[in-house]
Amino acid sequence: MLVNLDPNDGRPLYLQIMDEVRRAIVAGTLRAEDPLPSVRELAAELVVNPRTVSQAYQELEREGVVYVQRGQGTFVSPSVRRGAGERRRTLAREVAKRALLEARRNGLDAEELVTAIQKLAAGEVKTHE
Amino acid sequence: MSEAFAVATHGLSMRYGSEPALDGVDLRVPEGAVYILIGPNGAGKSTAMKVLLNLERPHAGRAEVFGLDTASRGPEVRAQVGYVAEQHEHDYGWMTCGRLIRHAAAYYPSWDHTYAAHLVDVFGVRLNRKVGTLSKGEARRLQFVLALAHRPPLLLLDEPADGLDPVVRNRAFAQLAGHLADTPTTVVIATHHIHEVESLADHVGVLREARLVAQMTRDELRRTVVRYRLEVPEGWQPPPELRTATLRRSRAGREVQWTLVGEPDEVTARLAGAGATVRDVTPLALEEAALAFLAEEGAA
Repeated sequence: MLVNLDPNDGRPLYLQIMDEVRRAIVAGTLRAEDPLPSVRELAAELVVNPRTVSQAYQELEREGVVYVQRGQGTFVSPSVRRGAGERRRTLAREVAKRALLEARRNGLDAEELVTAIQKLAAGEVKTHE
Repeated sequence: MSEAFAVATHGLSMRYGSEPALDGVDLRVPEGAVYILIGPNGAGKSTAMKVLLNLERPHAGRAEVFGLDTASRGPEVRAQVGYVAEQHEHDYGWMTCGRLIRHAAAYYPSWDHTYAAHLVDVFGVRLNRKVGTLSKGEARRLQFVLALAHRPPLLLLDEPADGLDPVVRNRAFAQLAGHLADTPTTVVIATHHIHEVESLADHVGVLREARLVAQMTRDELRRTVVRYRLEVPEGWQPPPELRTATLRRSRAGREVQWTLVGEPDEVTARLAGAGATVRDVTPLALEEAALAFLAEEGAA
């Protein structure tokens, strides 16, 4: 699993780590029963406070996305096979939240943003331009 | 349950000649915190650390490290602290790095030899070099080894990245992050390079002209120090009760960008009551939020 944090993202780091785990599960790079990196490994890799990683893992455990095997580590829950739809919706909501925040910063309202996204998705504009 | 503090100072004041270096400073660093002490050069950061180690005597007030008075229990305090000083000491200049490390190992009962060897490797310390001939960056790397290898309950890091190239800097902070996962540690980092340690910090203190002007958790800072973008009518004057909360304000036409400290709901209500339309509320990166305290203009 590759985790990327965005220093310009105004949200707390633990939320960003949670999003990255959800993203990896939706993308299929993390599957049921796969181990997550240890708190120590991920903290050192991202140069973040280990408590931040622990907090992200605890929240994910509370949501049932991962489970903790004492002394073994943290693993992706078998239930992710079932909850795929819900997880996609959660991830979409977080992506939308970021986009909406950015739109507001630029003085745009939600409607203008949605219209622009629909046009992009309809292929009228190339997305990677 | 009352919170346990690794570091607590009470009305700490200190002068160099007639210049105040610390003025009534009340630091509160909870056990287990990564506390970043921010402020420009000369704001008193290094002096505060030296008082904690009893290397400087305050003119007024007192300091405690794990409840021990630093003035009367200096040696006990220093045994529990790993210190990366801003200036590297030349007292042991004639020793080789290896000899200095063995010297330190004999001093600290908790010295971890295996870990020390690992740190020497990570930081690329050359053991046969004389301490006095080290460059600033090499001395820094040696200081990191000496500070971490006895796994002290408190780390005081004064401008820890000074003299380190970007690769070693990242390695040093990654090592520190890993260290915190293995060893229960309270860390105080004094720096004016905030972005380098932002992702490690969970507590923030801001020193400005010898005074502690802000001290809070990272979460509280994120919640209460935010930027408001407002649309205001022609000739609009800000409500007087918000002037004292002002950290930074800029205006272009009818648009005002205003960094304010306070509960956002309350501030938004006051702004609305004063005829301004709040366009958006933006959380700030730690550096921006902290710098706002240093560029204060509203508080008279």
